[in-house]
Amino acid sequence: MAELVREGGVSYEIVEQEHPRVLSRNLSAASHLLASATAMFFLAFFFAYFYLRSLNSNGLWHPHGVKPSMTLGTLATVAWVLGAVVLWLGVRDRRAERRTEWRTKGAIALALGIVAIVLQVVEWFVADFGPADGGYASVYFGWTAYIALFGVGAIYWLETTLAISVRYRKSATTSPPAGHASGDPHRSGHDIADPLSLVPATLEAVSFFWSYFAALVVIAWVVLYLL
Amino acid sequence: MVAIWLVVSVIVTPIFALVLGPLIPPGNDSVQGMGQVFDNQVLMGVSAPIMCFVLVVLAYSLIVFRQREPAAEGLPIRGDHQLQVYWLIVTTAIVLGLAAFGTYELVKDGAGGGQGPSPAFVPAHHNTAMPVQVIGQQWEFTYRYPTFGGIEIPHLYLPANTLIKLHVTSLDVIHSFWAINLGVKADANPGTDNIAYVETRNPAKIEVRCAELCGLWHGYMFDLQGRVVSKAAFGPLMKQQEKIYGPVSKFLPPFATTYSPEPTLRAG
Amino acid sequence: MSETAQTAGAPAPVAVRRPPLWRRLIGFNLLTAVLLGIGGWYLGWWLGHQVSGASIAYFSDTDQNDIALFLGYFTAVVGFLIGMGFLQYPIARLRGYPPSLREKETEGIGRYFGLCTDHKVVGIQYLFGVGLFFFIAGLNAMLIRFELLRPTPVFNSGNYLTLVGLHGTMMMGMMTSAVLGPFANYFVPIMIGARRMAFPRIESLTFWLLMAAGGILMTTVFFGGFPTGWTGYAPLGNQANYGMDSYIMFFALVGISMCLLGLNMLATVITMRAPGMTWDRLPIFVWGVISTSILNLLAPPVLVAALSMSLLDRTAQTTYYLQSGGGSQYLYQNLFWFFGHPEVYILALPGFGILLELLPVFSRKPLWGYRLAVAGMMGVTLLSFLVWQHHLFVSGINANLRPFYMLSTELISIPTGLTFLCGLLTIWRGSIRFTVPMLFALAWFFNFLIGGISGVFNSDTPSDTTEHGSFFVMAHFHYTIMGGLIFTFFAAIYYWLPKMTGLQLNERLGKIHFWIMFLAFNSTFLPLFAVGFLGQPRRVVTYASNLQFLNDWVSVSAFVLGLSMLVFLYNLVYSLLFARIRAERNPWGSLSIEWQLPSPVPVQNFDTIPVFQNDPYGYGDGAGPVTRPVGIPARGR
Repeated sequence: MAELVREGGVSYEIVEQEHPRVLSRNLSAASHLLASATAMFFLAFFFAYFYLRSLNSNGLWHPHGVKPSMTLGTLATVAWVLGAVVLWLGVRDRRAERRTEWRTKGAIALALGIVAIVLQVVEWFVADFGPADGGYASVYFGWTAYIALFGVGAIYWLETTLAISVRYRKSATTSPPAGHASGDPHRSGHDIADPLSLVPATLEAVSFFWSYFAALVVIAWVVLYLL
Repeated sequence: MVAIWLVVSVIVTPIFALVLGPLIPPGNDSVQGMGQVFDNQVLMGVSAPIMCFVLVVLAYSLIVFRQREPAAEGLPIRGDHQLQVYWLIVTTAIVLGLAAFGTYELVKDGAGGGQGPSPAFVPAHHNTAMPVQVIGQQWEFTYRYPTFGGIEIPHLYLPANTLIKLHVTSLDVIHSFWAINLGVKADANPGTDNIAYVETRNPAKIEVRCAELCGLWHGYMFDLQGRVVSKAAFGPLMKQQEKIYGPVSKFLPPFATTYSPEPTLRAG
Repeated sequence: MSETAQTAGAPAPVAVRRPPLWRRLIGFNLLTAVLLGIGGWYLGWWLGHQVSGASIAYFSDTDQNDIALFLGYFTAVVGFLIGMGFLQYPIARLRGYPPSLREKETEGIGRYFGLCTDHKVVGIQYLFGVGLFFFIAGLNAMLIRFELLRPTPVFNSGNYLTLVGLHGTMMMGMMTSAVLGPFANYFVPIMIGARRMAFPRIESLTFWLLMAAGGILMTTVFFGGFPTGWTGYAPLGNQANYGMDSYIMFFALVGISMCLLGLNMLATVITMRAPGMTWDRLPIFVWGVISTSILNLLAPPVLVAALSMSLLDRTAQTTYYLQSGGGSQYLYQNLFWFFGHPEVYILALPGFGILLELLPVFSRKPLWGYRLAVAGMMGVTLLSFLVWQHHLFVSGINANLRPFYMLSTELISIPTGLTFLCGLLTIWRGSIRFTVPMLFALAWFFNFLIGGISGVFNSDTPSDTTEHGSFFVMAHFHYTIMGGLIFTFFAAIYYWLPKMTGLQLNERLGKIHFWIMFLAFNSTFLPLFAVGFLGQPRRVVTYASNLQFLNDWVSVSAFVLGLSMLVFLYNLVYSLLFARIRAERNPWGSLSIEWQLPSPVPVQNFDTIPVFQNDPYGYGDGAGPVTRPVGIPARGR
């Protein structure tokens, strides 16, 4: 029920949360919707690739020598896919209530994501062509840059899930100490009973998004490196 | 209600199709323009009864079914399966009919629209068409005549009763070549040869305007001095133009379907 | 809130001593956000000059450093969001604190100027925020019509193009949220029996992103404006001055905001429906919101991608849109219209929803053909992704597909026709009350009929050859968007504002507003069809002198149309600030659940989540209200 709390001259209404079941369904729906929107975003680059390739304006679609590093690109892609697989195994551990195992796997996936982004950045710097070198170079730099950007988002999402489960690893079944509720030490009340109640749903959601995203990365890799 | 609709439609449809329709430009200066006028007439004729239907039903309802006493409720009708099916069949039939008709009109001669480098919908005898190149640049159109020594002139001159193949291209940003009374519109794109066919009829003036926002002086990118002249007068006219513009045209790059522009240079 | 509680006889809330004003201004609020936004802009601007310097030729040639400007805008947005308090939560999550929800400052006017997770506050924020930009953009339209009073120019050509661009971009960008922002945020949770949206923080974020975007668009005047109109076509967009960057940043932010709004709406409707609220009991307005949200979710990402390619073209020297460098301007046109056509249905579909929601209430009759109406809106949603190349009928791309796009475009008139059928048969044999909202809704029939019929002309390729890029098209989309969306937008304002504010709007002034607006609107845009046919291209600063009479007629009508908006503003100010007549709980006799709650709706909406038993259209058949028992309003007991 709503209660009014005063802090530092401002009054807050501490409101009843939705039931964790509802919030879990929200997360699940959101991950699917977000994945669709992400797919539409990369669809634009997919379309750009084939459209510019078919037009080959001024013969500058793919000048000789414009070739990104196959090794680094493949490694980055493998890192994303491996991250998705490890994360999915982590989800299975979580379903089986193996807490330490899933946290480890989550951390590995997180590290793999970071490795993928680092590899991508290295690949840009070792490339001996620039974004101005024709249509393919444009699509390559744009597409990989936005993959890295969306990847940062996925990594952030996973990190928050891990962080909360690590912070409350000891108090898994009890309420959080007062003031821990919102990450705001001045807060007196707590507005969520069990801080871990949403971890399962969040993990499922982030794993779904990551897998979907990894599939988009594979498509990008096939298009950019193999075709 | 149906009777009202029928009466109104019978009065309005001919007015729309036969009186208003022919008034709609582009008019009769080209075969393509005539096709568009006919097309508009048909569309007017089909849409008039539909508009009448909606407006008659609306007006009838508003007059007859207004609330007469406070708190009166309407009839709890939630749908009518049969009516839904009929409505769907009728609207689908109208739409498919219109699309088929539009396709026919388009396929016949391209309807004056720009069709890109390899036109799909060409008029008969298109191989004998006279080529004229329209070059858009900020902010005017110039015209190049490959069959007249490749001269480039500032106004569009066309012979009457001739099928013309317009090659529309641009040197910088996108323009849109719109010869209003000929019923021709084709975007001028850098590096693209956008072909439009038009068959002129009687001598007339040509009003040319740019129909795609192309920067600062877009509003001034028009030319009212173009002319369709009789076949007999066209030869001498071009000779005179060659005399004026031939010497400068020599310095132009040789005639090509497209030219390589540098559009990134910032203007004003 | 406190007022409602007191009038309802509830105990007064805990007395809170208000700190002095200066103390309240410190903290996360609009003022801080704007200050940090400006500071952020200077930081990014400085940083941009440091990193790029003179490395790119035309940056130094023209003293126009796009990298610096983009970085400035980016850091300005980040600063703005920090100031608003949006970054606290993500950082807390990063550190591993659990998700929490608090409704900040549930009393006082301060909550309207900051991050607020109450969906009703966000709704009102949206109403006034979007309204503000609607009036700015409308003012631009007045200036455009002022220019077109004479065939010779009055304004400087560049300024005129900026005016045209600002009008178009602002309307197309901000008004996408004209219904989804205020009315869907406010009423969808109530209508489905929820206490809030699925993601209240994202809900607030969509609003403030939109406002940040609007602010950025306005700053274009400091950088020379932009010459491309709302379409931002390449390569003109590549060539344009760096005022273009504000357009790109604006539309990208709007795209993100739209996408998040759609995501939030869909998640809310999917997961938060109260017991008994089955898919076939949803109010038809919610279906309008669903169909719009699907488009909102899927179309703007393509726009954001297209604009980020523009951004890369202007900063990193890529050549996506440059024919001379291996790209193609057609790529931009395809991507833009792949978004752009769903975009116009994002504008039109909420209007369908409002229309069909209001007609049953004011004709005292159930909605005719509920499923058909839903099918109609969903049909429009699906088809709208398949029609984009009708914007490219004369563009010089391969012509083979033109018959297909002609067909798919004309097919859209089938689902649109279903909306007409359901609307007309809903009022048929009803008991029609001519209230102000009903008048605005009825105007939809007339306006959208003309808009739709002219749309058939546009979709017909031969006929479109002449119409494309002319004032005909301009008249067509003003009939569908202004006639279809803005009229229903005002219908929604007159209908729902008593619920949102608890105060009545003056009916007499409303009727004056309606009649002036309706007549002036038609008098403005009907002649423009002729103006277009007679050869006036869009966005011109000069025109043929023989068209002066028609243009003057249109301009004068447009000024009267602007006047009608002043009548509305006067009504709003007078009714809300001076007359302050309390609205009844259910002045329209609606069966929908929002009208069973007190006005304004209390925080949290319901104490007990209602159980739905009917759809809200049981007029005339004694089915009664939608819930039994009616959901008990929160704290209004």
